[in-house]
Amino acid sequence: MKLLDKLQILADSAKYDVSCSSSGSDRKNRPGGVGNASLPGICHSWADDGRCISLLKVLFSNVCIYDCKYCVNRATNDVRRASFTPDELCELTIQFYRRNYIEGLFLSSAVLKSPDFTMELMIRAMRKLRHEYRFNGYIHVKSIPGADIRLVNEAGLLADRMSINIELPSTDGLRLLAPQKDPASILAPMDYVRDRIMESREPVLYKRREAFVPAGQTTQLIVGATRDSDLKILTLTEHMYKRFKLKRVYYSAYVPVNGHRDLPALNTSPPLLREHRIYQADWLLRFYGFRAGELLDEGHASFDTHVDPKCDWALRNLDKFPVEINRAPIEMLLRVPGIGYKMAEKIVRARRIGPLSFEDLKRMRVVLKRAKYFITCSGRYCSDVDLDAGVLYPLLSDEADSRIIPGQVSIFG
Amino acid sequence: MIYITDGSFEGILTAVFEAYDRKEEPEAIVCGDVCQMQLASEIREIVTDESKSDRVYRAIAEKMSGESLENLYRAFLSEHPDCGIYIYRYIKVGLKVGRRVTSYLQNPDVLRINDLNYKVSAECHRFLGMLRFKKTRSGIFYAGYEPDHNITMLITDHFAERLSDQPWIIHDQKRDIFALFNTEEVVFSKGLPLSICEAGEEEEFETLWKRYFKAIAIESRKNPKLQRSYMPRRYWKHLIEKQP
Repeated sequence: MKLLDKLQILADSAKYDVSCSSSGSDRKNRPGGVGNASLPGICHSWADDGRCISLLKVLFSNVCIYDCKYCVNRATNDVRRASFTPDELCELTIQFYRRNYIEGLFLSSAVLKSPDFTMELMIRAMRKLRHEYRFNGYIHVKSIPGADIRLVNEAGLLADRMSINIELPSTDGLRLLAPQKDPASILAPMDYVRDRIMESREPVLYKRREAFVPAGQTTQLIVGATRDSDLKILTLTEHMYKRFKLKRVYYSAYVPVNGHRDLPALNTSPPLLREHRIYQADWLLRFYGFRAGELLDEGHASFDTHVDPKCDWALRNLDKFPVEINRAPIEMLLRVPGIGYKMAEKIVRARRIGPLSFEDLKRMRVVLKRAKYFITCSGRYCSDVDLDAGVLYPLLSDEADSRIIPGQVSIFG
Repeated sequence: MIYITDGSFEGILTAVFEAYDRKEEPEAIVCGDVCQMQLASEIREIVTDESKSDRVYRAIAEKMSGESLENLYRAFLSEHPDCGIYIYRYIKVGLKVGRRVTSYLQNPDVLRINDLNYKVSAECHRFLGMLRFKKTRSGIFYAGYEPDHNITMLITDHFAERLSDQPWIIHDQKRDIFALFNTEEVVFSKGLPLSICEAGEEEEFETLWKRYFKAIAIESRKNPKLQRSYMPRRYWKHLIEKQP
């Protein structure tokens, strides 16, 4: 098979993995080597679906012994199959990298023969890339559930980031749709990777520690393939950030690729808005000091379709508003709809020099569209409507804001 | 009073020195070749003088901060037609409030420099990813691009570190400025002397890259508006994956 066909097949079957980030590692170049990592990460292009392309994201092979119902590569599907050789993969990575097409490699794989066998192949390719091709760019590797812990360790010493996909938000979902995957085989390596990362960061005297997954571990789960609620997903997310010290949880709106009675019908479109809301809430957990229980509860188990999770929270907590821009602690500024963390920091810096007026905020490009209902500047309330949920709800809904593009994760809101 | 400089950063700093020295308040600081004579305004020609610009340079570094100096320099690289007078006004504020000037975001003069600096820095970061090299027959990797701002000297360190074992040229085709890396050091010059002949293998890798670009997009999530918001159309000309 020609390399062009292999690339087509193995990129096509890797595209449902949403992680694209190349951040978190500052691996240096070595004399005679190629590449380094950039701590904040670099996007190199944006695909037609608007998702960033940072890494060459491919499967090592899409030949699979498993038959997970939601997966395009399940054993019983009639799709074209291919596998790279380690040299093909190394050559592609290096040549793309030298032309600045990519930031590095994202290597995943279907399960070929057995988890250990697959993992060994991936390690062989990575070792070749690091040692023979002297590549020091970014590598994100998927750990294959069920692989021996020693192989997980070996992969972690070669990669910058490692992830194991939790796939479905509940064990029931996993049992139903991926009966060959054992939940323990997903969670145990995540505990192991966390411990190894912490161990490798302990300072040691006289010698350099081997870097183990310097950019941390992440995971991904599918939204909308099972009946799990937003509450269930967000609670799980919060738990995973704590337990595994994850850098990120990625969510992927389920795209129906297989027909099956246990799955949404084939003509169902992917739940993009739901995915968008969960990402917004994920940001609130990581950067805005929110807890999952504040955003959702049993009586309110799904996100509002019209307003974002922060607005939704604010409308249910109007007694905490308005917030005085010139005095409120940063924790409270972060809870004002429309004020992002960069803006909150700017406000805190600027108000040390002098009080801020509504006009100052405007000039500083604070998006006041939403924020104006929730703030005062030196005691002055800045909007002409009452602080009332019924009045504010329509004014805060996404339809009132034409700048929002579905699929875009707003990091400023 | 309009000050006319040679358009260099040192020229603008000399103008700032002159304004303080003569106790004048210039209404504009412009570059000689773009100056359109305004009726009824006086003109002063500024001769770039390194001893004068150095004094302003040091005053910024000492009374404000290295960060201020960097912000001003990047704002200068934006090539905004009014950046001369913006730089002057920022320095004026900075000499009053000192180190805190970088946080003084409610001040319109500070904000203007910050905005220009932000634009230039954002474009730099963008091109760390969007620059595309082609291997030439001589083995040199060539990247042509047309940035909005004059950023070539801000991005070369990144590539010298990363692609340290391959010779390369980064060529700003709009300004005809290029940086040449010979695997030892980066040299800047104007007017690219050689013509670019692609190596034979180039087409193969470009085809592979284009194919990858197509394959990685999820059809049912197609979103051209989102794509353009990250990767505006004006940059497509030099992006291989965006060529037919």
